[in-house]
Amino acid sequence: MEALSELLKEYALTTYSMKPNRLVIEIPRERVKDALKAIKEKYGDTGIYVSTIVGTDFPDKKQVRLDYYLVTHPDDNVYVLRTWLPREDPRVDSILDLFPGALSGECETHDLLGVVFEGNPFIKRGFFVPTDITSKGVFPLRKDSGV
Amino acid sequence: MSRAKVISYSPWVAHFNTGACNGCDIEVLAALTPLYDPERFGVKLSPSIRHADILIVTGAVTKKAAERLKRLYEQMPRPKYVIAVGACAIDGGVFSKSYSVVAGADRVVPVDVYVPGCPPRPEAILDGIVQLVQRLRRGGVSGGSK
Amino acid sequence: MAVDKVVEIPVSLEVPIGPQHPALHEPVMLKVYAEGEEVVKVEVNTGYNHRGVEKLTEKNSFYRNIFIVSRVCGICNIVHSDVYVRAVEQVMNIEPPRRAKYLRVLAMELERIHSHMIINAIMAEVLGYDTLFMYIMRDREKVMKAKEILTGNRVLGDYLMVGGVRRDLSEVDRERIKDVLVKLEPEVRKYVRVFEEDETIGKRLRGVGVVKPRDVTLHGLVGPTARGSGINIDARREGYDAYNEVPFNIIVRGDMDSWSRMMVRWHETIESINMCKYVLENLPSDGPAVPDETKLSRKFPVGEAFARVEAPRGELTYYVMSDGRQNPFRVKIRTPSFNNIINSGFSYIGYTIADVPVILTSYDPCISCMERAIVTDLRRGERKYIRFKDLSMGLK
Repeated sequence: MEALSELLKEYALTTYSMKPNRLVIEIPRERVKDALKAIKEKYGDTGIYVSTIVGTDFPDKKQVRLDYYLVTHPDDNVYVLRTWLPREDPRVDSILDLFPGALSGECETHDLLGVVFEGNPFIKRGFFVPTDITSKGVFPLRKDSGV
Repeated sequence: MSRAKVISYSPWVAHFNTGACNGCDIEVLAALTPLYDPERFGVKLSPSIRHADILIVTGAVTKKAAERLKRLYEQMPRPKYVIAVGACAIDGGVFSKSYSVVAGADRVVPVDVYVPGCPPRPEAILDGIVQLVQRLRRGGVSGGSK
Repeated sequence: MAVDKVVEIPVSLEVPIGPQHPALHEPVMLKVYAEGEEVVKVEVNTGYNHRGVEKLTEKNSFYRNIFIVSRVCGICNIVHSDVYVRAVEQVMNIEPPRRAKYLRVLAMELERIHSHMIINAIMAEVLGYDTLFMYIMRDREKVMKAKEILTGNRVLGDYLMVGGVRRDLSEVDRERIKDVLVKLEPEVRKYVRVFEEDETIGKRLRGVGVVKPRDVTLHGLVGPTARGSGINIDARREGYDAYNEVPFNIIVRGDMDSWSRMMVRWHETIESINMCKYVLENLPSDGPAVPDETKLSRKFPVGEAFARVEAPRGELTYYVMSDGRQNPFRVKIRTPSFNNIINSGFSYIGYTIADVPVILTSYDPCISCMERAIVTDLRRGERKYIRFKDLSMGLK
């Protein structure tokens, strides 16, 4: 646990814990890819995997929060890299070249919330959402989507 | 003998999952195994939709799958019948208020038998097929020939 | 007039494909591009099974969501409700009594047994062994009977509540479930031997769909898919519910191919039978397993929790966030098939078309999810649309 927070000390804005015992590290959106590159170098190809990518819409803060959940192998520790994106312009660098397993999470977060992962050629609308909603340009998981 | 009565001696069944949780699907699959013995009624899983007499629909019909369901129904040769299995196929089940679901298979294709349950037991599914077959033998089901 | 020149226009067999095309079952569609027999590229298209569950959970209270969340997947519904309930219990700071935890483990392991048996039956059917499929399904009915004795229903248990389980287990029922397990074990061992010794199964499964350990973690594959390639990840090691007290082994094999993945599942079935027997013999009586429904809290504190569980298909994760209201602010579900199926397009390349259904079934997609594949023959410019069973027999 301490190893990762040491490694990311220069990127981290704040760290705290999420139940039950997951370490959360908040980093600014421009440093997401650098932080993940540092993590991958430290743990190697088989030491860590991206478990899931979670996006949450906060209309009152005018931000979209993006979490990357990483699980180490074989000690099964869960780390959360958390970053905040402005709601009107939710862009972040795609990590597909570092972790190809992020494909499913990035495509889904784009289709449901509108986060743009720059550098990911596979994101498109209609990955999950039916066409009568995508044709209106609505992202269903936004709080003001009206669906 | 009318066409409907002829197929009632060995109705072949095709199964379509329109976005289900797979609970009803595994019960439909289980209904075709030796413990429940569907072959005593002549029921067997059809190799292709064009050879099927009865279409079993499971799942809350998602919008993407609804178009498929309509086309699939049109590809079946007459006389053709539809059985809606499970609460989701009847009216959407727990997903009826979702943005991505057309609640109920009967909004897309005409349904002849509804088998309620979440999921219904394999015996109930076979009972639904048998009741349809008995109605065919008595006469009086249009079979999609309107 | 004599005809001295004829222009031939090649007619390609095209069925309109893409997001809309007439198909039988398809929450996921695999577009396979083939040169002759060899697969060169696979695209995975999704969306047919999307029911908007995450948006639906934001519109219902925490307690009603237990029922919605169970119906995300019928085959592993008890693990879905278990991980959701545990995440909610973390937010509310509730700890269920040990008896309830043991009963939850019993229900989840019974589910693992039935799920592994059905995917092996489907693998037998895809390979053409209809008889083996029927035999395994016949023995699986015993497990469904055990599930019915425990939870009241064969498939959808609706067994969990915040703070415990919904029904307790009486002494008579304990003996009945133990009888079922004792009768089941020799049958499962017979099937393990069939899969180990049968030559045709070996030829179809060994060496097919090799996934190297490095690819497993880079692409985020989980569950028996990962354990069949030597990567030892299992969420049960966290020790949630009663897994810190019930002894079990994690089955890992290093062969990396489809055969290895199916054998991991069979050996896990035997482990699960032993775990169920242990739970039945050592059920604690420290507190009421069924909480009083009228005393459930109506206030939810602000907070978030991330819970993981080892579903039969792999690691299933739930993120639950509460902002103090009756409904959750965000529920995020990541099922194991989401990672295993969407991220695994790389593993089909280089194998023949007839191997594609075998490899896909070895990842354990949710049943009847993928019955059709589109085969585009790049050399001949033809597009055809074939049932999985025909594909695996090599018909074109």
